Amino acid sequence: MEIEIISFGKIAEFVSNQKIDIAETTDTDNLKIHLETLFPELKAIKYKFALNNQLVQANSAIEQNDILAIMPPFSGG
Amino acid sequence: MSDKKIKNIFVQGKIEPAFIADSIAKHSSKTGIGGHSIFMGQVRKDEIGGKKVAAIEYTTYEPLALEKMHEIREAIFEKYPLSCMHVYHSLGTIEAGEICLFVFTSSAHRKPAIDACSEMVERLKAELPVWGKEIFEDTTHQWKENI
Repeated sequence: MEIEIISFGKIAEFVSNQKIDIAETTDTDNLKIHLETLFPELKAIKYKFALNNQLVQANSAIEQNDILAIMPPFSGG
Repeated sequence: MSDKKIKNIFVQGKIEPAFIADSIAKHSSKTGIGGHSIFMGQVRKDEIGGKKVAAIEYTTYEPLALEKMHEIREAIFEKYPLSCMHVYHSLGTIEAGEICLFVFTSSAHRKPAIDACSEMVERLKAELPVWGKEIFEDTTHQWKENI
């Protein structure tokens, strides 16, 4: 299945916004493992997901064409 | 959250002192107010490893940030008896010495305004998906981290 990923802050320096095929992955916990294989730099960074504009706080199901945001720690203000 | 109206807090570029003065002036007709509290964030020329910060470039994930901001705003209005609250955060490149955050709370008596202002600043720094990229005078950069 295909989803769209968007990234922010320092993560945007090595993960560009793109559509990716996540194969058999169906939830955010497994997607994390999948993404860290594709982008090993993620392993050294703290980050959170938002799925379709909702912050992911527990493992969540992913569906075709979902939009997943990968966000490093916030530093506004 | 019935009559949900999402306000945009983001402004492109620095927050002008004249804008802040004007915001204050606009409250003179609200005569039930007895106290205002204001917080302004200014870009600091930090020195890191011998290099000085020239500017901070702010970016956000706007839909999520505005949604979160709405939630924080509702919670703060629930908690404190405020007359009003205004929040503005800059996006784009803000130079050292310029204002990048403006939080303005008003209430009948001072305490709720002061406490709500402080809580808003703490919460937005921790919870809003906004990122600051510190750009040094030599054009290299590092990503800001909130303490």
